[in-house]
Amino acid sequence: MPKLLRLLASFLCALPGLAAAQGAVVETAEVRAELVAHAPQGIGPGRQVWLGLALRHQPHWHTYWRNPGDSGLPTKLRWTLPPHVSAAEIEWPTPVRLPVGPLVNYGYVGSLLLPVPLTLGTGFAGASLDVRLHAEWLVCKEVCIPQSGEFVLNVPADRPSIAHAQAFARARESMPHTPTGATASARVDAQVLAIEVNGLPPSWHGRALAFFAEDAGVVDHAGRIEQRWDGARLSIRVPLSAQRSESPATMRAVLVAPGERAGIALGFAVNGAWPSIVQATPAPATTALPAADATSWGLALVLAFGGGMLLNLMPCVFPVLSLKVLALAAHAGDRRWLAAGAFAYSAGVVLSFVLLAAALLVLRSAGMQLGWGFQLQSPPFVTALVLLFTVIGLNLLGVFEFGAVLPGRLVAHRAHHPLVDHALTGLLAVAVAAPCTAPFMGVAIGVALTRPAFEAIAVFAALGAGMAAPLLALGLWPAFARRLPRPGAWMVHFRRSMAFPMFATVVWLVWVLGQQVGLDAAAALLGFLVALAFAASVFGAQGLGRAARLGWRAVAVVVLAVALAWAAPALFWATPANPGANAAPSTGWQAWSSEAVAGARADGRPVFVDFTAAWCVTCQYNKRTTLSDAQLLAEFDAKRVLLLRADWTRQDARITQELARLGRSGVPVYAVFPPGGMDTAPPRLLSEILSVAEVREAIRDWPSHTPPAQGTAGARTVP
Amino acid sequence: MKTLIRLGVLTLGLLAAGLALAQAAVGQPAPVFALTDLDGKAVKLTDYRGKHVVLEWVNPGCPYVQKHYNSGNMPTTQKSARARDVVWLAVNSTAVDAYDYRKPADLAAWLKTKDAVPTATLMDVDGKVGRAYGARTTPHMYLIDPQGKLLYSGAIDSIPSSNASDIKSATNYVDQALGEALAGKPVSKPTSQAYGCSIKYANAG
Repeated sequence: MPKLLRLLASFLCALPGLAAAQGAVVETAEVRAELVAHAPQGIGPGRQVWLGLALRHQPHWHTYWRNPGDSGLPTKLRWTLPPHVSAAEIEWPTPVRLPVGPLVNYGYVGSLLLPVPLTLGTGFAGASLDVRLHAEWLVCKEVCIPQSGEFVLNVPADRPSIAHAQAFARARESMPHTPTGATASARVDAQVLAIEVNGLPPSWHGRALAFFAEDAGVVDHAGRIEQRWDGARLSIRVPLSAQRSESPATMRAVLVAPGERAGIALGFAVNGAWPSIVQATPAPATTALPAADATSWGLALVLAFGGGMLLNLMPCVFPVLSLKVLALAAHAGDRRWLAAGAFAYSAGVVLSFVLLAAALLVLRSAGMQLGWGFQLQSPPFVTALVLLFTVIGLNLLGVFEFGAVLPGRLVAHRAHHPLVDHALTGLLAVAVAAPCTAPFMGVAIGVALTRPAFEAIAVFAALGAGMAAPLLALGLWPAFARRLPRPGAWMVHFRRSMAFPMFATVVWLVWVLGQQVGLDAAAALLGFLVALAFAASVFGAQGLGRAARLGWRAVAVVVLAVALAWAAPALFWATPANPGANAAPSTGWQAWSSEAVAGARADGRPVFVDFTAAWCVTCQYNKRTTLSDAQLLAEFDAKRVLLLRADWTRQDARITQELARLGRSGVPVYAVFPPGGMDTAPPRLLSEILSVAEVREAIRDWPSHTPPAQGTAGARTVP
Repeated sequence: MKTLIRLGVLTLGLLAAGLALAQAAVGQPAPVFALTDLDGKAVKLTDYRGKHVVLEWVNPGCPYVQKHYNSGNMPTTQKSARARDVVWLAVNSTAVDAYDYRKPADLAAWLKTKDAVPTATLMDVDGKVGRAYGARTTPHMYLIDPQGKLLYSGAIDSIPSSNASDIKSATNYVDQALGEALAGKPVSKPTSQAYGCSIKYANAG
């Protein structure tokens, strides 16, 4: 009932044309508005005179800044002034961010004053300054109510008006200012506005600043803004709105340090071409996919099968698999049991791949720009994998047994359904294999995603079949199984040693997370892992009395809860690291953009593009070996090859599109564009396990332009 | 070894988690969806392949929606579009627990009193479709071409205000984009800043 009354009241207030107040105050249920003046020297030509609209919002209500953000409208003032008097624009105080669900608005809560400086010409000679104002504002809580008011004010000319001096002084204090020496420059980098700021006050250095774009219709107001301090220089990366409506040559923005009332206003020119507002649709797969044409569906099936087999050797899968093999080998005598177990496991593997493929296809058809490996672009998913691998590792070490933790009924249930158990092992194997995309899989999956759904799913099923094949063979031909070593005490040691590949995988995943969200998040996660290990050791402890056991367990739960509360902010609400961090440190490499490729090709320069991601093992291997080879880099330099790195560590629709154009859907991909302009052949794609010889062969015929720098090892290798 | 299995179940859940929705972009395929209309009938965007489709985010409680309905501007634009064989889908992404949520029957009655003629009015109470399109305000308008590509995203017209008297001097961006698209011309104003009330999305989304 009170809800209904409130609603009714809202609608009554929303009726157009509020009762026109014959005075300086208009009051609604949500806001009190007053027209005020500040004239410390009285009114006269050349004197300093301000008018202002003072707004006092009811709790939780707000009005908007000059750029209101995702919704809302800025307050508008329309003046009627005597002759020889003119009003400037509103001097907007520093706004605050107002999140509304997934949207973000910029505006004001509480009390504020919107000051407007007046200019009085020499012709002005009244006994008082008679002002009329028509003001429109939109006041919102959850509900938005457009309101307006008519205001009349007579300011006496012969004496100072200072009754509101404090309010004007406060407004001045909260107005964004530009300190001398503060400068900014910006460039458009794909769908990101990259801003460099210098000369901010030293007390601001290293702090996370709030960012407000003054221009509407350019940036994604709710998007995650990345900031990196490099001494006194601040780099900010602001995502552009997917539905950007403006492409300004110069922009203005306000930065605010936490706790400061006044922000710093900066104007900057925007360098580089804005991406087209109408984003070109990637050409249909059938016309622009040289790789897909060359690779038939049958070949894709074969490659997928081979890639799946290789997955068994990946460091995160091998421990799970090898122990599975040993468990089966223990029953080598019972042929039927062995075969049934192997089939159940294989069914689990193939089904998991098919489900994963179906999920990917459904999400893509819903318009999402995703590719293979998409799971690892999500920091929460990487975090979850870290926890999973840690728990598995601790279990392999024998720190605890699941039986001791799970309710007895579950354990009994499992024992009754060993086949379900095998199938679930298959599922687990697929889950842990996800981070390790094997070579050969790139081509197969790229082809799969350009095919009709049935053929695509068949390719993924082949991948699963390949992964399951070695174990299935073992189950079907006990001769293989009999070759395996006999079970014995050595298995305990083997199981323990298998914990270490798991921990190695954890190290790598924490590094990936560090690339995605920063060092603080990685440290927070490591801290949480310590608490997790402690809890596991407590729950796995043997031979304690009932009271001691309960006591220790209570301590462990508290430690876990405290660690979670401590780690969660850094993990989930951290300012993410610069996504270019993975690409930046290597000299000679620049961030990829399709404009950079087009620009270089228009100049006749050859281009080498490394499509990579921190979570892609093969990518990192190639980056540290072949692509760091001094001779090769010197050769690139001599041939003026533009080296571009497309970092797909986090989701990036433009990179996904470019991969699709090349007929791929995952990384690594190495594309070489020969010199000689735009019309030459499409890029050549090199193999996923990149060798120096292969790259040198690919660029052998390209002309050398400048001799490489003196002392470079590669000077002699140029043919 | 068998003891690891419980984790498999957990892991399957994780594989599906952590996916952020991509925002629709003009020039790209518009996100496809299936929603139910006010009678509970299923409506899919792909049902209308081969025709131009207008999407209109609507919420009767919003003064900006009222501006365009009470003045007759939105119904007139709908009629003019339908007369040219264009499909018009009104979408309501207001969360069920928002104070101005309307039940389908109430919404239908309200639309009837305004002489509104959308092809269908769709309920998106979990906000998934609204989020996929990046719809921010009511109204927020989109135009999709017969191949399913997004042609326009933004405001209904060029003057962001709550005054109905501004409508006659404003450019109706949806009408303009439709005219150009139907004449086979590129849309001259493919994006604009939508204005109006924030959409009250459900939390989970």
